[in-house]
Amino acid sequence: MNITLREMRRSWGRFVLLAGSVTLLAFLILFQQAIQDGLITAFIGAIRNQNAPVLVYSLEGQRTPQASFLSPQQVKDISSVPGVGITARVQQSTYSVKVAGSDVDDASVIGTADPRLFFPRQLSQGRSPSAPDEAIGSSDFNLGDVVEIIPSPRGTPMSVKVVGIAENVRLYVTATLFTDIDTSTRIAQAYNPNTPAGLTNVVALIPDKGLDADELTESINSSVDDVDALTREQAAATAPGVAQVVQSFQVIFLLYALVVPLVTGLFFLILTLQKAQALTLLRAMGAQPSFLARSLLIQAAVVLIAGISIAVLLFLPLSQGGLGGLLSFNGRTVATWSAVLMTLGLASTAASLRMVLRIDPIKATAPGIEI
Amino acid sequence: MSLTPALELKGVRKVYDVAGQEVVALDHADLVVGADEIVVLVGPSGSGKTTLCSIAGALLSASEGTVIVDGNDITSFNAKQLTTFRRNKVGFVFQTVNLVPFLTARENLLVVDELAGRSGNRKAALKRADQLLGELGLADRRNNLPSQLSGGQRQRVAIGRSLMNNPGLVMFDEPTSALDSKTGEHVVDLIHHEMKERGTAAIIVTHDTRITKFADRTVRIDDGVVST
Repeated sequence: MNITLREMRRSWGRFVLLAGSVTLLAFLILFQQAIQDGLITAFIGAIRNQNAPVLVYSLEGQRTPQASFLSPQQVKDISSVPGVGITARVQQSTYSVKVAGSDVDDASVIGTADPRLFFPRQLSQGRSPSAPDEAIGSSDFNLGDVVEIIPSPRGTPMSVKVVGIAENVRLYVTATLFTDIDTSTRIAQAYNPNTPAGLTNVVALIPDKGLDADELTESINSSVDDVDALTREQAAATAPGVAQVVQSFQVIFLLYALVVPLVTGLFFLILTLQKAQALTLLRAMGAQPSFLARSLLIQAAVVLIAGISIAVLLFLPLSQGGLGGLLSFNGRTVATWSAVLMTLGLASTAASLRMVLRIDPIKATAPGIEI
Repeated sequence: MSLTPALELKGVRKVYDVAGQEVVALDHADLVVGADEIVVLVGPSGSGKTTLCSIAGALLSASEGTVIVDGNDITSFNAKQLTTFRRNKVGFVFQTVNLVPFLTARENLLVVDELAGRSGNRKAALKRADQLLGELGLADRRNNLPSQLSGGQRQRVAIGRSLMNNPGLVMFDEPTSALDSKTGEHVVDLIHHEMKERGTAAIIVTHDTRITKFADRTVRIDDGVVST
């Protein structure tokens, strides 16, 4: 064991305290990041995790499926834009629903004219609908549930059967049912007999082979009046409320990301000042400045790796179903934050490094060494 | 025993720039210390004793003159070369801080080897450290931290540390200043014994005239001028 690790062993209390602080901060970051991801997924999971790469809203729909209405002419014009491959009309409405044995709740019903477009990209259980009045449900439902749509006073009851389950496909924090467009039209008309047939909220589409989704959205927006074509990622990121949530969390993350290097930097600065005499002695004994600098960086790295690793280990079990499934363990996010915190933490030792590199060994000959 | 002098200073001058003013700390000093000679360097405060020691110990570069330590001309060495040189060729016992507080007595000796990158031969280093500590009467204190040792014991560990790299020359800067007279005398006696046994040269900087009886020669320095 070399001098660097021996110092850590002998002064373990202070290093454990620092590692504990890093653990706490890293854990809070991961926890808040998971909450942010969970909230956003609950908001727009149905958009982010559906299979159409391009969605077209009406301009006044403000990027909300339920508020967007496209006329038959607009639907026709969109389909005629060069580069547009397969298109599908999509309807979306929210209803009060009830599953036998549970309370009435809200659910979004999304109906698509083509199951290749605006259906969940992946099912966790069951299958896609193959008959009328079948649906894929978000994970709020169980396979085989018969979901009753509560009708308006003039409407008639209607039910759909959940034949498939998909994860992370809620819309605006409500449960979701994906059906074919005939079923969603029947649901709308059963709820309110005056609902006209043929309504289109959104057009989902796939570009022709070789055409980029970004290019196609530009092309649609410039050639069809009063429509707002977006890629799937744009539609998810710019949905009302999402940007605000992301912005609020970013402020929190920025604060945390500043606190970690501040704590680490101050710790090592104080430590360097406290052991100034020992460092000066080592320089006088023949330690090169690079040896002392490396020692400092190794200590910082050990503390940061330990702190971040413990935070990840604490977060891991919590993310397995914590807060009703709102928290999830995203390996890429955890790796990114770990790398960011490591980099910032190591960079924060710059002041201490500068101090160490400037130690003059001649000061070992003077009583009351200062650096 | 080597016939090469442990130290040769020829016309060494050290000038400091203090607030734009030249201050001469060492003025054309000439000094030769034999291979196993113990020289006591005496003089009033500010006379240049520590500066001379620092130049001889490769802690400081001379402004003028020639510095040869154990046959190596270090006059034109840069900071990195001086660092390597003092790590391998000289020993130093400082006035106040001599031990790394978070290392045991034994580890304070072993760190010399670690700094020199000789960790590969750990067994030999351990043997040498234990042997030195045994000779210094500290065999049973080798696992104690400096804070668990008395002043005299700490100074003895520092002597061991200064000998760990088998130096040709060891500098002792006021080695008894922090010790009571009885312990101080014991430490100097030990220095004398250890140096003579190894045939290692030593320069002992001191104000304490009682130490001179342990030296082969006393050198006086006043206002940077060495008079032998």
